[in-house]
Amino acid sequence: MLDWTVVTAAFLTAAVEWVEAFTIVLAVSLSIGWRGAAGAAAAALAVLAAMTVATGGVLSMGLEVRWLQLAIGVFLLLFGVRWLAKAVARGAGLKALHDEAESFAETRAELSRGDRAAGWLIAFKGVLLEGLEVWLIVAAFGLHGRAWASSTTGALAALVVVLAAGLAIRAPLTRVPENAIKFVVGVMITAFGTFWTYEAVAGERAWPLGDLSLLALGAFYALGGIGLIGLIRRSRPIGAAT
Amino acid sequence: MKAFLKTLFGDAGTVTVVALIMAAEVFLSVVGQPAVGAVLIPAAVLVGVARLALR
Repeated sequence: MLDWTVVTAAFLTAAVEWVEAFTIVLAVSLSIGWRGAAGAAAAALAVLAAMTVATGGVLSMGLEVRWLQLAIGVFLLLFGVRWLAKAVARGAGLKALHDEAESFAETRAELSRGDRAAGWLIAFKGVLLEGLEVWLIVAAFGLHGRAWASSTTGALAALVVVLAAGLAIRAPLTRVPENAIKFVVGVMITAFGTFWTYEAVAGERAWPLGDLSLLALGAFYALGGIGLIGLIRRSRPIGAAT
Repeated sequence: MKAFLKTLFGDAGTVTVVALIMAAEVFLSVVGQPAVGAVLIPAAVLVGVARLALR
């Protein structure tokens, strides 16, 4: 039985990261060919798959749930506040929206100075680093509540969708509303992180509404994030963005 | 290695914000006011997000 909240969170997080990884692989493939770029991507995905399996094996044995929950919650908070802050800054115009076409051009420029081995390494490192965030979410949701199937399904489904879309158009996926997805994922992950860390620290007395508090936290962060965007936009005149 | 650690934990600002949130959670739990934390902690998290966004 799949937990659709976990599937959705894993899918959205993974989709953003896979789009970024695909952009790098696509840029590299134009220099060293599809075979070399795909090989580097496959090697990085194999490392990520091994990390996911190893994490599950080690952490699911003999650890008290409370400490596991605390560790996972801290990672989710680290990840969530970063994404939410970035989405708020971009939404408010403080930072430029992420542009896959620009990333594509930067990677191409980087490659023009290197050789075939450098191209392979760029693709490998790119997929590995983008995939690390996917691994974090898959491991975090997978370990809590034993939702391995749900979190892995979400991440793999996102990989298939991004690959299919990317291969179909053979161009950077510039139309993916990355900032909106980042905002939603940031809200969800920050809510889970807050809920789990405080429950692990303060016990069951932490959240008077029990599991319903998770929904309240999500709504609070979503409305708070939208409010912050409006507040920053009003307090900073257009043109002051850096 | 540096890129790996940054991906895993974020930058110093992110780590500081989360460390302060964790300290607040522990403090409220130790002083026996967990219910207050249910309101204060999410507010603190949002302040942290604002701080990080404004950097």
